[in-house]
Amino acid sequence: MTVKKYMSPVIFLLMLALLTACSDNTEGGGEAQDDNSTAATKEIIYATAKDINDMNPHLYAGSMPAQGKVFESLVENTEEGIKPLLAESWDISEDGKVYTFTLREDVEFQDGEPFNAEAVKKNLDAVQNNADTHSWIKLSTKLESTNVLDDHTVELVLTEPYYPALVELSMTRPYVFLSPNDFMDGETKSGVEGYHGTGPYKLAEHKTDEYAVFEANENYWGGAPAIKKITSKVLPAGETTFLALQKGEVNFAFTDDRGADSLESESMNQLVEEGEYQLVRSEPMNTKMIVANSSRTENAVSETEVREAIWHSIDRETISRDIFDGTETPAETLFSSNIQYADVELKKREYSLEKAKEILDQAGWKEQQSGAVRTKNGNELAMQLFYDNASSSQKTQAEFIQYSLQEIGIQLEIIGEESTSIANRRATGEYDLLFNQTWGLAYDPQSTIAAFTSDASYLHTTSGIEQADELYKKIDEVMVTTDENKREDLYADILTTVHNEAVFIPITNGSVTVVAPDNLNGISFKQTQFELPFEQMNFKD
Amino acid sequence: MAIYMINRILLAIPMLLVVSFLTFILINLSPLDPAEVVLQAQGVPVITSELLAQTRQELGMDKPFLMQYVDWIIACLQFDFGHSYVTGQPVWSLLAPAFVNTLKLTVISSFVIIILSVLLGVLCALNEGKLLDQSLRGISFFLTSMPSYWLAALMVWYFSVKLDLLPTSGMGSLQHYILPVIIITVSYSGIYFRVVRSSMLNNLHQDYVLYSRACGLPERRIILHIVRNSLQVSVSVFCMAVPIILGSTVVIENVFAWPGLGSLSVRAILGRDFPIIQAYVLILAAAFVLFNALSDIINAWMNPKLRNDL
Repeated sequence: MTVKKYMSPVIFLLMLALLTACSDNTEGGGEAQDDNSTAATKEIIYATAKDINDMNPHLYAGSMPAQGKVFESLVENTEEGIKPLLAESWDISEDGKVYTFTLREDVEFQDGEPFNAEAVKKNLDAVQNNADTHSWIKLSTKLESTNVLDDHTVELVLTEPYYPALVELSMTRPYVFLSPNDFMDGETKSGVEGYHGTGPYKLAEHKTDEYAVFEANENYWGGAPAIKKITSKVLPAGETTFLALQKGEVNFAFTDDRGADSLESESMNQLVEEGEYQLVRSEPMNTKMIVANSSRTENAVSETEVREAIWHSIDRETISRDIFDGTETPAETLFSSNIQYADVELKKREYSLEKAKEILDQAGWKEQQSGAVRTKNGNELAMQLFYDNASSSQKTQAEFIQYSLQEIGIQLEIIGEESTSIANRRATGEYDLLFNQTWGLAYDPQSTIAAFTSDASYLHTTSGIEQADELYKKIDEVMVTTDENKREDLYADILTTVHNEAVFIPITNGSVTVVAPDNLNGISFKQTQFELPFEQMNFKD
Repeated sequence: MAIYMINRILLAIPMLLVVSFLTFILINLSPLDPAEVVLQAQGVPVITSELLAQTRQELGMDKPFLMQYVDWIIACLQFDFGHSYVTGQPVWSLLAPAFVNTLKLTVISSFVIIILSVLLGVLCALNEGKLLDQSLRGISFFLTSMPSYWLAALMVWYFSVKLDLLPTSGMGSLQHYILPVIIITVSYSGIYFRVVRSSMLNNLHQDYVLYSRACGLPERRIILHIVRNSLQVSVSVFCMAVPIILGSTVVIENVFAWPGLGSLSVRAILGRDFPIIQAYVLILAAAFVLFNALSDIINAWMNPKLRNDL
């Protein structure tokens, strides 16, 4: 009975408590306003869909933009080619097998440990002890030993000459340097105890799936960066990021390391129009394409003419304008001409349905009646295109291409799947056509081309073409030749072959997009599409 | 009563075992090679067959299926759910903080939902058919039918961006709770207050009410009787509300960047992080089984007749 008696006052009190809680909180709105004015405090707070994760730079789980701020490599890949970074200079032996690096003497790890030849050896050995994981980077299969010559000189011995060695040493991972104090039992492959690199920023605080704070490394050998604090905040892409940007809780967003933007282009434009933000876009970084399985002999996709007809029937201008809102530019070749070795004269294949029909007619694929699927020897001209069902733009493109192909009498079935399952198809050859993209500026052309011969990547794509053996021989050769002119010629041959065979059907060139406060200066891009040089940015007064 | 409680809890154990086995089978039915998924999840750019074989061995995937299950369930009983494929961290160290974050949201929301539902339910039942009843039901119907992600975006835009009163997302201060709790409350109390209302109405027409009135009991005491009797029905509904909300905060967590179970599980699903998915399903299933047991126990405590029903 007593319980019942007190029930209504208790409920009343609870309601009251709730109401006061609410009013307390509305008063607290002032506080929210304070941390809202981030732009004024000269920090960068960027939105990212992914936590920074385990930042171990010798593995692949960490977020690359975060790793890029903390860790550095021996050399840097720039627009003008390879430049010194932690190594002041280097020397390549005549046979191309021994690289001798002279290290900078003024570099310290963020925990105070000196950066010297010994540290370089420990790091490279730790990477090589886990070589299987790094087999995509061909240097890991060719690096025989690392020798300390003196305190600041270190020698890398390869089993055979390999020209992209410097390029691969410049990548965000794995050949970057972590303080040996962070190693576990002298290794890094099963985890590390800290993340002390030599870079311009150090990790100050990390709350999993919420945020990570990076502070300027005041002892940075290149001079302390102007922006003292960068926060990486985990926000789901889309509406949430947009609203947080509008309110100023975050003030920076950029294309992530999977090539996905956290904002739709419409939202980006709106932010710029409202006057608080600027939009900066890099030059083309990669090529989005359709990969055709030339070794699929049971399907018409194995015929060069059919692939050429598909190439001609894709309206790249419309895709770029209406599907990508102009954020991607139409691509005519596998690599855009700003890629090293890729400025090659190739046959142009313009958008023309008439031309596509003509090619199919000549190849013997006849249209029995207008609008019907073409046939040859009783077989229908039908194939499947796989797209990543997490990508809304791929789905739209697939539908658009399906319509165009119908116009020329090809029946295209489009199928959306998980990205892992698409990667699996690519490896097993269970596909006719699928969407893919090249690896990006710093990795192209060598990494994408090396993948032509890899069964996990494009072996099925390339193995059906007539000159496949010759192509593979040239790819092997181009990676080891030490003669620059010969290398240029070989790349030209390789690119011409795959272009003429139309196995990689380019669609658009993608770039990195940055949304940043209007008063932020010095926004530039690196050669990789995965990180930004934050240390070069500063706020206007 | 104690015996009933023990029996009821013991009954939950075989249920949990069945659930855990089903979870394990479902994950293993996936057509993908787990070793390949691990390597892809870790971002290894090119996967070779040697690497695959090595990974299979490391993860114990070369063992027979049942052995894998037994290993897994024994480890789970020690709160060792394995390591995340993606980050390599122990699953428990990822799941525990996320679970706590979601639990905070769930407990506060459930509390508000229960109070609001009882209050509105009683209010509507006592005013059956009148303007108040009809308009409250109309408004709640309207609010409940709005998709919560849409309502959330709208409220964030208005209260956070436009009026600048509340943070848009994240968790930290008390203010961060206001919008998510409101959205969850709006989507659920509209349903639950109807349950309270209809069981109140049921009771209102019972003979004991008529009898009490005839005896001249004060109306307030009669209503308290009715409320108590109607709440018995609602106990099971409210008890199940907790695990239901626990498992369905995905949308809210995503909109508000709430670092809880929902966001973790979505990321795990997209990244094929099987150990996390397994542990997540197991924990949710356990929550359902436990709250089901809890509601039975509370009902048995309130109504001794039920104690012999096991």
